Amino acid sequence: MKRTIWILWPSFIVGGLGEVLFFTVFDPHELYLFGEPSTLSRMAVYTIGFFLCWAFAAASSAFTCFLQGGSREINR
Amino acid sequence: MKTSGAPADLVEQSLYEVRRTIHPRAVRGWFAAWRWALVWATQLVFYGTAWLQWNGRQVVLFDIAQRKFYIFGLVFWPQDIIYLTVLLIISALSLFLFTAVAGRLWCGYACPQTVYTEIFMWLEQKIEGDRVARLRLEAAPLSPRKFALKAVKHGAWIAIGLWTGFTFVGYFTPIRELWDAVWIAATGPWETFWVLFYGFATYGNAGWMREQVCKHMCPYARFQSAMFDNDTLIITYDRERGEPRGKNAISRPGKGHCVDCNICVQVCPTGIDIREGLQYECIGCAACIDGCDQVMEKVGFPKGLIRYSTITAMERKLTRAQMFARAFRPRVLVYSAVLWIIIISAGVALWNRVPLKVDVIRDRAAISREVEGGMIENVYRLQIMNTSEAPRAYRLSVSGISGIRIPGEAVIEVEGAASRMVPVKVRVAPGAVAAGTHRIEFGIESTDDTSVAVREKSVFIVR
Repeated sequence: MKRTIWILWPSFIVGGLGEVLFFTVFDPHELYLFGEPSTLSRMAVYTIGFFLCWAFAAASSAFTCFLQGGSREINR
Repeated sequence: MKTSGAPADLVEQSLYEVRRTIHPRAVRGWFAAWRWALVWATQLVFYGTAWLQWNGRQVVLFDIAQRKFYIFGLVFWPQDIIYLTVLLIISALSLFLFTAVAGRLWCGYACPQTVYTEIFMWLEQKIEGDRVARLRLEAAPLSPRKFALKAVKHGAWIAIGLWTGFTFVGYFTPIRELWDAVWIAATGPWETFWVLFYGFATYGNAGWMREQVCKHMCPYARFQSAMFDNDTLIITYDRERGEPRGKNAISRPGKGHCVDCNICVQVCPTGIDIREGLQYECIGCAACIDGCDQVMEKVGFPKGLIRYSTITAMERKLTRAQMFARAFRPRVLVYSAVLWIIIISAGVALWNRVPLKVDVIRDRAAISREVEGGMIENVYRLQIMNTSEAPRAYRLSVSGISGIRIPGEAVIEVEGAASRMVPVKVRVAPGAVAAGTHRIEFGIESTDDTSVAVREKSVFIVR
């Protein structure tokens, strides 16, 4: 439970921050998906964007958690 | 994971902490009344503001679909992010200031985690009964009655959670339209998702996680001690007066005033014993002060065995007046000064904000060309953003080179809170300037209010 919180919670905050900064600068309607203008609504892009930001930050948190284990845990 | 026979050190490193559900005893008193006042104030503002109208639209609407934020008469565009930054700086500095003066005031009275937990616990008490009844219910095996009580409680919690989620989304999508859509199950998929997401987060945080959020998730709890000093008001147990504690302290004068009734522990939402000194789990809710004061009153001792005090005041036995006088120390004065400077400058900037923004883009297709009469022409595109809510007309002018002008009628109309891209031709008489790049300036001025004007620089190229 604690480890889940450690991974999901800080990444939620950082992901949210990244989302706000990114979409303040870029308008979803001006983004291109694989060279094609996206047809998604702004709401859709914001939502997908948020979960992408969160997922990336969570992956980083999880990696940190993974590398954090002491030698004793690994040698067990 | 705790496995039988595992070495002791491995058990200690366990990542899973078995959480004992805390059933805080309800408490009444001065500080509880303050907390309830703030629950009402913050929630009336949160649930209510979304429904208020202004000039035919929602008074506070963060219209992310149109990328415009409306707050009363102001319309903010993405370019105005500086104001959001300033708002965050003001919030952070206020937090520093309040923390330096009186500890975790935010946590104890205004944090949504505290506020919703308070509301959820009130419901829990109404449905399941007081602390003793709840402990008994918890220990009892599942019966139809227990199931019914739990179902009603969770139903009520989920209802509040959904309403909170709905209100939250109502700040980003017009709430009245959203409300109408809810009834015919026609809310957009993204709105629906976020109502459920935020509703679930509220239910989970205030119903299940509670003090866990403060203990394990809140960053403020970890760094607040950096803002504390010996003159910060904290919730303190007067050890000198209280110890040695004892149940029969009343019949044994000479003993301390603490009657060891454990009320201070029972009322604590984070389940700590304040008599062990300041701990990072303490959210400064002062429930223990209210609880202890009631007991002191009953047993006939003076109130304030647990009270807001400072380390210095405890050590030097200062009077309350002396203690409060020390609130005006350099740290607090500096925080206050910086805070006021930022608030006033932001206020002045907002007050003088011109509701017009212009971007000048040179037309890259035709750098410079000769037109009829030998005039030299450059073409620009002006993005004119009317950030006021009323439609406006703007007169364009250009200066920087003698005889420079915009041919034809140069008045542009722009709808309220809208932007318009207009191509603008600029001409210079032949021979007026040498070949090369020349600085020019566009003037854009509202036809009905000359204070609404912007000047933008660009260049005029002659080949």
